[in-house]
Amino acid sequence: MLKYILKRIFLVFFVVIGVTIVTFSTMHFAPGDPAEVIAVARYGDDLTQEQIDWVRVTEGFDSPVYIQYLKWIKHVSRLDLGRSLVTSHDILEEITIRLPATFKLAVSSLVISLCIAIPAGIISAVRKNTIIDHLCMSAALLGVSIPNFWLGLLLIWLFSLTLHLFPSYGYGGCEHLVLPAITLGTSMAAITTRLTRSSMLDVLNQEYIVTAKAKGLDEKTIILRHALKNAMLPVITFAGLQLGFLLGGAVIVETIFAWPGIGKLLVDSIYARDFAMVQGCVLFIAVLFAFTNLIVDITYAFLDPRIRYEKT
Amino acid sequence: MNNKSNYSTFLIIGGIIATVILTAGCTTPQEDSATNELVVAISTDVNNWYLDKFPGGDARFVWSQVYETLVRLDTDLNIVPGLAESWETPDDGKTWIFHLRDGVYFHNGAPFDANAVVFSYSDESYVKKMGALRSLDHIETIDENTVKFVLNRPMPLPFYLTHVAWPIMSPDCVDDNGDFVAPIGTGPFKFEKQTPDQEIVLIRNEDYRGDEPVLESVTFKVIPEASTRVMALETKEVDMIIKLPEYEVSRLENEADVNVYRKLTTFTDFLQFNCNNGVFNDKEIRKAVAYSINTEQMLNTVLEGIGTPAKGRPLSPVMMYSKPELDLYEYDVEKAREILSEAGWQDSDNDGILDKNGQPLKAKFIVGKDVWASRHVPMAEAIQGVLQNVGMDVDIQVLESGAITKLENEGQFDMILRSGYFVWGPYPRHFFVHQSFCPYSHYNNTEYDKLANAADSTADPEKQQQLYYDLQDMVLEELPAFYLVHEEKIIVANTYVKGYRITAEDPWLNLDGVYLEGKQ
Repeated sequence: MLKYILKRIFLVFFVVIGVTIVTFSTMHFAPGDPAEVIAVARYGDDLTQEQIDWVRVTEGFDSPVYIQYLKWIKHVSRLDLGRSLVTSHDILEEITIRLPATFKLAVSSLVISLCIAIPAGIISAVRKNTIIDHLCMSAALLGVSIPNFWLGLLLIWLFSLTLHLFPSYGYGGCEHLVLPAITLGTSMAAITTRLTRSSMLDVLNQEYIVTAKAKGLDEKTIILRHALKNAMLPVITFAGLQLGFLLGGAVIVETIFAWPGIGKLLVDSIYARDFAMVQGCVLFIAVLFAFTNLIVDITYAFLDPRIRYEKT
Repeated sequence: MNNKSNYSTFLIIGGIIATVILTAGCTTPQEDSATNELVVAISTDVNNWYLDKFPGGDARFVWSQVYETLVRLDTDLNIVPGLAESWETPDDGKTWIFHLRDGVYFHNGAPFDANAVVFSYSDESYVKKMGALRSLDHIETIDENTVKFVLNRPMPLPFYLTHVAWPIMSPDCVDDNGDFVAPIGTGPFKFEKQTPDQEIVLIRNEDYRGDEPVLESVTFKVIPEASTRVMALETKEVDMIIKLPEYEVSRLENEADVNVYRKLTTFTDFLQFNCNNGVFNDKEIRKAVAYSINTEQMLNTVLEGIGTPAKGRPLSPVMMYSKPELDLYEYDVEKAREILSEAGWQDSDNDGILDKNGQPLKAKFIVGKDVWASRHVPMAEAIQGVLQNVGMDVDIQVLESGAITKLENEGQFDMILRSGYFVWGPYPRHFFVHQSFCPYSHYNNTEYDKLANAADSTADPEKQQQLYYDLQDMVLEELPAFYLVHEEKIIVANTYVKGYRITAEDPWLNLDGVYLEGKQ
């Protein structure tokens, strides 16, 4: 098991390097002159060409992309993510300030989505082709189809403006968390519900379930003790991936609810061609994502002994 | 069967309980009951407080509370003394002497004097190094309360110094190493604290030089989404909001407990042509576009009647030197068709699009994906429709700024929709945008360059007025851009916010005399 984990950690390193190379080159191949975009963001519109060229030279945009990348890697190896090209703020500090907000929103929306999806998925599978199944699946389809920005605004209108239950925006106590987490959670729940249903149906058709039924076990025991654990494997993998995505930020929900997360920081930096900030954020998100997946894999090995035995 | 339904109920209840647990312990939002603490919603955070960079986004609304400028503007854009009591130029604009106000103190208690002016426009300052005050050579201190600005060329410096983006800062804003420490100005409010992407708290400056503010504090909440800002105002979580979509205005004007403040501002939306190559190299085709667009109708439909139709007028009527009588473009679609026909454009293949020498009349139209997008995209679509009507095939591309600079640098576009370039106070520095050496210019005319330079290089108001009048006539005749709509500034506040007077200046938030009364 330990060897398996070490091997996975070793792979994570290469994944992260790969991601940073891809981001670095994509950012440089994106249309437009980065020196000009950065100069405008820093000094306003009132510029001349010489000033744009000055930014190009001082920020090193005139050297080849691979040199710029190697320089960046050199800094990162000293755990220095550098400073924002536009605001001069310390990048690591900017990210860590936003980390608690991002983490809270990601975890709570994932929990909400699982709390809705797993029961709904199981009921749909057990009551396959009944009204309750159709209702759950229609709700799931609706959940996937409703855009987050619309649902978010609707929830603010209903719960803040009309019912005065929750604040309409901002970050703070857990009352601020409710609406954004529900907005994100419900749309994710939709996909997970469908996944749980199909996975459960697969398991319910397995021979060992038939055996269990033949043994005369009651349905609750069959579902909760025998079927659920096996049906959860793909769901856990999927939830892990979703958590990874969520830790990378949920730009739309963050924007609507004025939630100070990493997603908006990253997107704003991309628009501003703030290479250093984009690289910093991507590196951070890639590491988080890779480790989330690592944890999922370990959980997987724990749930399914076959994996554990194969690898060790 | 009974067993089955028990089991379903168990799962459903389990799911609901788990969801509720997550939200448990949550209380309803607590309204702050203190009466003189104003909460204003803005759309972007303040990323910079120092003079080495431009305060982008909505930062200037916040800066205008903390920092002050040497020269000020009143609510109708008249030039009035600021931190300088008076000023004069002994040599027609090449040097300017400013007499500073005595007895003014920075937020840290240090006196405001000539040193602070020298510091604020030193080589560290982006506006001297990179921006509009490039022509400033140096500043001499004559005595504690008198400074002399020495310029490389004559220019109307006091007009420039009204801009909130280059105000007076205390030399104590930086430490001994020159690193920025804290925002210290002379404004009516002092910086208290900032939480990134969330809020900025300012408190009353008890030693303010003018009337002491009634408000004890002003908190700027960062809410990027306009619809959320509006709802936060209606729930009274915020007291005042800036920048809201046109479609919300008429609804809010009918709400009993909010006040909508509107005023014509200095910004004008304009349709800039690529005059250097492509179809709009021909001035007559630019004119055909101008006659095809009914700016009045566009204003009333797309922009909900907010603003004033420009019909080609390059300067908002509130601007300094805006010529009252101009030969504007009245909507005349027949004239547009006539011009195109005389230029040789005919619909030879009856497909509704004009053509000449086998080439169809096509134009690539760029619109920015920035803060203006919510008004510019529907405006662009309206323009596309009317131009289709006269036989021009317009392809709209909504792009982010990097992609736009690329197309601009390569000349790969025909039209671009813009607003408020080089516009800050009433002074028409905007004409720089069409000078051939401006990075945003797509017009090359040495006559124009000379005229715009001459207008910006004199301190004689009469001479300057004539030069700017000539420039406006020239823009209308030459059409480097067709000016569409003079914008209105909109501020919305709950009715318990009293004493607010909207200013034409944008971005500026005038909180002088504002207080809260009867906030629940």
